[in-house]
Amino acid sequence: MSNGKIVQIIGAVIDVEFDRDSVPNVFDALTVVETELTLEVQQQLGDGIVRTIALGSSEGLSRGLEVVNTRQPIAIPVGEDTLGRIMDVLGKPIDEKGPIEAKIKQPIHRKAPSYEDQVGGNELLETGIKVIDLMCPFARGGKVGLFGGAGVGKTVTMLELIRNIAIEHSGLSVFAGVGERTREGNDFYYEMMEAGVLDKISLVFGQMNEPPGNRLRVALSGLTLAEQFRDEGRDVLLFIDNIYRYTLAGVEVSALLGRMPSAVGYQPNLAEDMGILQERITTTKTGSITSVQAIYVPADDLTDPSPATTFAHLDSTVTLSRAITDLGIYPAVDPLDSTSRQLDPNIVGQEHYSVARGAQEVLQRYQELKDIIAILGMDELSEEDKALVYRARKMQQFFSQPMFVASQFTGREGEYVSREDTVRSFKAILDGEVDDLPEQAFNMVGNIDSAREKAESLTARAA
Amino acid sequence: MAAGREIKKKIGSIQNTKKVTSAMQMVAASKMRRTQQRMHAARPYAHRLRQIIGHLASARPEYTHQYMTEPEEVKRISYIVISTDKGQCGGLNANLFRALLRDINQRQQQSIESDLALLGNKAITFFRSVGGNVKAAMPDIGELPEVEPLIGGLKVVFDDFVNDQVQRVDLVSNTFVNSMTQRPHVRQLLPLNKSDDLQTTHYWDYIYEPEASVLIEGLVQRYIESQVYQAVIENVACEQSARMIAMKNATDNAAAMIDDLNLLYNNVRQASITQEIAEIVGGAAAI
Repeated sequence: MSNGKIVQIIGAVIDVEFDRDSVPNVFDALTVVETELTLEVQQQLGDGIVRTIALGSSEGLSRGLEVVNTRQPIAIPVGEDTLGRIMDVLGKPIDEKGPIEAKIKQPIHRKAPSYEDQVGGNELLETGIKVIDLMCPFARGGKVGLFGGAGVGKTVTMLELIRNIAIEHSGLSVFAGVGERTREGNDFYYEMMEAGVLDKISLVFGQMNEPPGNRLRVALSGLTLAEQFRDEGRDVLLFIDNIYRYTLAGVEVSALLGRMPSAVGYQPNLAEDMGILQERITTTKTGSITSVQAIYVPADDLTDPSPATTFAHLDSTVTLSRAITDLGIYPAVDPLDSTSRQLDPNIVGQEHYSVARGAQEVLQRYQELKDIIAILGMDELSEEDKALVYRARKMQQFFSQPMFVASQFTGREGEYVSREDTVRSFKAILDGEVDDLPEQAFNMVGNIDSAREKAESLTARAA
Repeated sequence: MAAGREIKKKIGSIQNTKKVTSAMQMVAASKMRRTQQRMHAARPYAHRLRQIIGHLASARPEYTHQYMTEPEEVKRISYIVISTDKGQCGGLNANLFRALLRDINQRQQQSIESDLALLGNKAITFFRSVGGNVKAAMPDIGELPEVEPLIGGLKVVFDDFVNDQVQRVDLVSNTFVNSMTQRPHVRQLLPLNKSDDLQTTHYWDYIYEPEASVLIEGLVQRYIESQVYQAVIENVACEQSARMIAMKNATDNAAAMIDDLNLLYNNVRQASITQEIAEIVGGAAAI
């Protein structure tokens, strides 16, 4: 008889006692018979007792309730039947469109692909967002992190990326909503429906109102969907919003599982938790996963353990900065803090590389001159430095761009700027070709030609 | 606390800058008094000389000096530009150059070319990067300039005028209004004219003794000298007052920045203390 009994309940962490000869394995899914609540085994405490986390509300449970071992990890439906559907962490549909009848089910816990299966691609993926294409170009099959504090526009930037990549992209996408607002998931669903690409996208949600167990595992569920498509030999886009909530869910159960809190109160196995998830998001010989992950940065501090452990796993990091949102520049990508492995003359080409580095140098120098300007004033700068400061300020404005998904806020139709156009435009600013245009002309425009047009309309209005 | 140390370092460097700027402010303040005295002392002479030249220009003397003939058509202008040797004096030079460039551009639209004679290091470096037809350049004019070397260096300009290479010479410098205000000024030096800032209620012709040619020759020479010299020492006085104001602003700005950074530093410091306490307490409770 393999059934057990609940012996202790502390919030989301539940201890279950089994016979000593039928102790469940770690990561086995258990079911509470009465409430159909799923539990996932985390630790074997000895004496037949296992410590589990509840994937659902643990309210109303009591000691002595009967628990069945399913003898396998949580498995979710995967494959083409999940396209256009929304499910929760356990693979149950939450879009009220009836059950998902998938032929295949896959466990959410799997090993990361071995070294020999992994491949690195360097084919570029154009995003149509100037600052990203210039400073931190994405690679097809690469991993991209979108770092940012509260309210700097992570989700909007991510949605714009989805609009520009997923809608143009012919392949399949998976969206995992981890501990974020349900409303955003809702908006996203209808946006995809309007764009007519819903049949190419699978969605998994475990939002912020759900118990920590759900938020801890929902990223894995999303990943499992993406892995299946990859193993079928397709190119998949995986969007995760927000990886930090995964860490946070880990923190919530960590102490209850009996682990000593570590630096800043995070779980002591933070790096391992992150590694288990991130190592699986990878491109193999059979297919590719291109992932875009939003990562919340607590208190705008990038040295916080959670974002810091995430950094190492990524190919491109896009850092959104509060200082730039304060200037009213969106997307607020920090051009000095954002990098990409792909920014290499052998991959992006010499011209792009030198323009990007040149732009960084100018902006860096401007940063240094800022203190001098603040104390002594612009007049004390040499002519060259003055020209450089004006160019840097123009560039800073030019990093802003009207976005499609934000058109209701900005009142402007979005603009897609090709990488070629981006490089050409920034080269023009760097080379001083547009020194005569006013700074405002560079705010919220597409390429350099529309900046020129805007300058003309500005002077026309002034006249 | 890594951020805290960084902020401390920045505060330190701004404090050093502040020391320098406040010292410069005090030096400029003491120099300002002396240079202003010198400027005021030279003023009556220059003023009276200009009056006499004004009379001469409007009168019909028996001898007409080359400097006095009004050319039929101006094709080329020579600008004598008086700037400072050193920076750190706010927008003094920048405003002057802006006014000059505006003037040059206006002339260019009337297809009048321009030459430049530059006094002071700042003008020389500025026009080296901006470009321009520089005929003469005199660096390091110092705080106590002598008349002779100044005029000597400008000989090319006056020779050009005599040889009809240029038909007009303008003097570009700052005029001293008061310690707070200095104005960039472009005014005609040659040909001699009745300057508009003189109020002449009556005209007269002089009776010359000895000969008019000798007298007028000398007078015109003195006039040029006094005008250039006056402009130079006035510019020096402007420089010192502008520097005093600029350095006072810089010192104030630095102080404000230090205040802001101190606030930030205290914030960061307290945040890290609070966090450490929270961690220790949390850790202790967990055991």
